[in-house]
Amino acid sequence: MTPSHQAPPKGERPPGEHDVGGHAFRDEEAEPSPPPSGPKRRITWKKLVLVPAVCAVVLVATYLWITNVDLDSVAQNSLAGDTVQLRWWQHVRLTAISTFWVLIIAIPLGIALTRRGLKKAAPGVTALANIGQATPAIGLLALLVIWLGIGPSTAIIGMVIYAVLPVLSNTVAGLNSIEPTLVEASRGIGMSAMGTLTKVELPLAVPLILAGVRTALVLNVGTATLATFGGGGGLGDLITSGIQTQRMPVLVLGSVLTVVLALLVDWLASLAELWLTPRGLEEA
Amino acid sequence: MNFWEYLGTRHQQLLTDTYQHASAVFQCMVIATVLGVLIGVVSYRSGWGGSLAITSTSAVLTIPSLAAIGLLIPLVGLGVPPTVIILTLYGLLPIVRNCIVGLRGVDPSLVDAAKGIGMSRTRRLFKVELPLAWPPILTGIRVSTQMLMGIAAIAAYASGPGLGNEIFRGLASLGSANAINQVLAGTIGIVILALLFDAAYVLLGRLTISRGIRA
Repeated sequence: MTPSHQAPPKGERPPGEHDVGGHAFRDEEAEPSPPPSGPKRRITWKKLVLVPAVCAVVLVATYLWITNVDLDSVAQNSLAGDTVQLRWWQHVRLTAISTFWVLIIAIPLGIALTRRGLKKAAPGVTALANIGQATPAIGLLALLVIWLGIGPSTAIIGMVIYAVLPVLSNTVAGLNSIEPTLVEASRGIGMSAMGTLTKVELPLAVPLILAGVRTALVLNVGTATLATFGGGGGLGDLITSGIQTQRMPVLVLGSVLTVVLALLVDWLASLAELWLTPRGLEEA
Repeated sequence: MNFWEYLGTRHQQLLTDTYQHASAVFQCMVIATVLGVLIGVVSYRSGWGGSLAITSTSAVLTIPSLAAIGLLIPLVGLGVPPTVIILTLYGLLPIVRNCIVGLRGVDPSLVDAAKGIGMSRTRRLFKVELPLAWPPILTGIRVSTQMLMGIAAIAAYASGPGLGNEIFRGLASLGSANAINQVLAGTIGIVILALLFDAAYVLLGRLTISRGIRA
């Protein structure tokens, strides 16, 4: 709304109309726009409920099936005690820890690669990232297992290496896609390089960085299923022992839990995306 | 035995595995491309159908491939069937999405112009819309192929064909002298295959992207 619209109309005209040379003009926005009723709800009810509801239904159905199917001793051994809970939490832990390290490594590195000093290195890093992306996750993990021995930390290192690349390239792309005039303008009004980075560039790059984080999370849930091949535990243990012992209930339970975890993690990340995107960048 | 000696003595086995890996990925990509473009063409015009296709494909993409293989084994058994189904399914997803996005991105005035000079609905689709949407579809095919290279390696655990078998053989004999050779051969083989496929797609793009929209 430009200031001229806010100027009180002359007495003889209804609000919103102007008298110019004897002709009446009406503002485009004659009706007073409804007062902004607080922030519009970005997180809709449907988004909040749909995925957890589907997951709950799947979990209940699987639970009913597992409790009613005849388990022989081998299958019972595979699921004995709190094995299932243990594997679930191992999987969550693997995902969380590796995602944490991915963010710690990839985002600062991405920022560094868009600064003046290191900008020349960026194409090289992108090419390396592309070759890295062509490496199969299981091959990378197997090499690390041979090199570093089995255990959860090997799995985590593999997951971090594998997921750093997408987050890094998203961060670089996000920072590079910012209009240079905006950066110039902020330098022009006297902001320091650091101020420009934290107040202008990073907030503008948030959507792409968050998309990278979501990609990393989803990738890590998937790669964590391979941790079992390096003695790292996780839900992959249930899947592989189900395949090896040919016990379908174990296999299906492991697979269903992995799918549910992946969907839930993606859902949480999508909520975080909506929550953390600066309001100014929202699509109208 | 060092790596080169290993390659020398096992090249027969390695070449067979490499060929099977490449052929499994290639055949599944052909099926996935045909199906993906078909689904895209059918659904891109309806807002509802298109967004259903895009949401469901991105939901499936979040599912770890090992879990998807695990869910298929009780239904179709081990070996080639779960491998083919998984590769085709995952290969489909980026293509469907890029096809819908590409077709929707075609300038409506161009479609209108095609209508104006008397093109039928089918001719508009094949002569105007699909050629314009081809570059994003090709990108989808590239992304899919790279993903399938890795998934095919994992599918070897369900007795699927290909270089993944080398990797799992190495993992099964951890500590033996050949473990590192097997894993290295499998992994490097897959990387080389992925890069070769990628180069082939660049070439394909040169040959098939309509001259008018080439960058």
